[in-house]
Amino acid sequence: MTAAATFPRKGVALAGASRHAIFFVLAAVYLVGLAVSPAFAEPNYLFNVLRQIAPVGIAAVGVTLVMILGGVDLSVGAVISLTAVLAASVMAGNPGNIAPAILVACAAGLGIGLLNGVIAAFSRVSPFILTLGMGVAVMGLTQMFTGGTAKGIVSPGFREFFNFRVGGLVPVLALALLLLAGIGLFIEKATTFGRQLFLVGTNRAAAILSGLPVRGVTIAAYALSGLFGALAGIALLARSGVSSTVAGQGLEFQVLAAVVLGGTTFVGGRGGIAGTVAGTLVLVIAFNLVNIAGLPHQMQLIVMGGIIILASALYGRISERVG
Amino acid sequence: MAVVRAPRRLALDRDGIFLLLAATVIIAALTIPAFRDPANFANLFRQAGVLGILAIGQTFVIVAGMIDLSIGMIAGLVVVLSSVLLNGNAVLTLPVVALMILVGAGIGLLNGVLLNTLRLHPLILTFGMLSVLQGAIFSFTDKSVGRTSEPLSILANGDIFGIPWIAILLMGLAVGAHFLFARSRFGYHLVAAGGNPESARRAGINVERIRLAVFVISGATAALAGVLLAGRLGTGYPLAGNGLELDAIVAVVLGGTLLSGGRGSIWRSLAGVLMLAVISNVLNLLGVSAFVQQFIKGVIVIVAILLNQPRGANA
Repeated sequence: MTAAATFPRKGVALAGASRHAIFFVLAAVYLVGLAVSPAFAEPNYLFNVLRQIAPVGIAAVGVTLVMILGGVDLSVGAVISLTAVLAASVMAGNPGNIAPAILVACAAGLGIGLLNGVIAAFSRVSPFILTLGMGVAVMGLTQMFTGGTAKGIVSPGFREFFNFRVGGLVPVLALALLLLAGIGLFIEKATTFGRQLFLVGTNRAAAILSGLPVRGVTIAAYALSGLFGALAGIALLARSGVSSTVAGQGLEFQVLAAVVLGGTTFVGGRGGIAGTVAGTLVLVIAFNLVNIAGLPHQMQLIVMGGIIILASALYGRISERVG
Repeated sequence: MAVVRAPRRLALDRDGIFLLLAATVIIAALTIPAFRDPANFANLFRQAGVLGILAIGQTFVIVAGMIDLSIGMIAGLVVVLSSVLLNGNAVLTLPVVALMILVGAGIGLLNGVLLNTLRLHPLILTFGMLSVLQGAIFSFTDKSVGRTSEPLSILANGDIFGIPWIAILLMGLAVGAHFLFARSRFGYHLVAAGGNPESARRAGINVERIRLAVFVISGATAALAGVLLAGRLGTGYPLAGNGLELDAIVAVVLGGTLLSGGRGSIWRSLAGVLMLAVISNVLNLLGVSAFVQQFIKGVIVIVAILLNQPRGANA
């Protein structure tokens, strides 16, 4: 009786801890950064970090929505590459073409996301393999389009705008990340669609039986992921100015690491964009610490893989105990 | 697949890959003269060798209801390590190959132990491992290093009486794997554990040990594939293994093995490998660019998993 009475309370406390764990981790990692380098106390440096991670963070917002649903989107890396190259090609160095370039890139990302969504909604294939395959196909399309080299010229004014520091401090790109994360958070918390994502992710069969538009929700989530992928591609182009064929290659790892780190698990029904943003920040601070420690840049991949494994294991354990 | 068999009859979902392969080969042979050339066939088998070995390992993993995304990077790591250790020295070939297979089996063991203790989804675990191994390769080198040895080069590229050595090796490995798979207690337990882990556990099968075993097999076969890949390339190219895991999974899936586990056969996986090799061979003969081929490969992945969905309740 006493065990039965205390167990739920312990469960609630653990659930609360798991939901907020990433924010404690973020605080801890930040303090480590502060101890290692005084740069972490400078707003200038911090906003630079935010600008640096903007493409990954933006893409991670979309992927979070898909993963709440119980899916996953590994085609984002390829979508980022394709849309960055597409945007640069439409711009062709002409400032008047910036708006159409952004539109074309978004349409491409949305289209690929829709295709992922329709296949995922109307079949029982593994979304992991589906989106890996889609990534390969999109990569092929990008290379067919570019001929394997960089293509397109960024319009004058495009990079200047996104890298302009509002008040001499906050880069527009960092603001764009915060704005898009805010939009994602709104979709997640304040819309029916957001609620439905969690319901489908928690129990797909029950969601179908309760008459939820499961297919529609699935298609919309993947479409949004494609759209955020396109916005990430534009952000990457704005940050680097390089429209190479492989600009986004491997970014899906960083995106997945950020989302999983943020507490959105692979099984769905759990997590959220607030955690993803914190996860993104932990990831970029970890990367900067790798650099500050003087380790080779490639060590980031090892850190990231370790984070993907350990964070999943940790959250799995916590949710298992909560039940 | 087990000891007791239903009467054998031709079923499209079971034998479809053999029919598809036969049809593709016949059409290609009739329409493309260069395809009929015996030298082209030898070449085709040489290309299929590395992937075939990877697909054998992945078949064990997938039938057990698992998946291993780290095999491409295990192969890639072995390509680099073996080339550096050998550096053209033929005498060291056997010890280095043995060491590499141990390294591969060790990484597989690590996968299996982590899977069992952390109770992670195998996709997430091996995806993380993929990233770790890629980081390890790139930390080690970002350009081609070392040189493979003469015997490995012959094994990977040479042939005897027109039959590539690698094809003979693959066949030997496949026969052994088939025996293990379809005629041994381990294989029997493997299918049971993959089909329904809970009932297998209740029947007294140690499911955790089966999972450990398949990841060790997968790691060891990936290392063997890596050694041969180094033999084909001649040097330690750090990107050699990239994407091979997806090719192996597609080959297994093309062979009609369900990703949900509990079903599959070595021969059908190898037919899937040959199918991919024939497609790539034909596209090469037709002069299709590498970029278009990559696009087609992605489409094949999607079509293959769409064709290979569980059908009905007993799937």
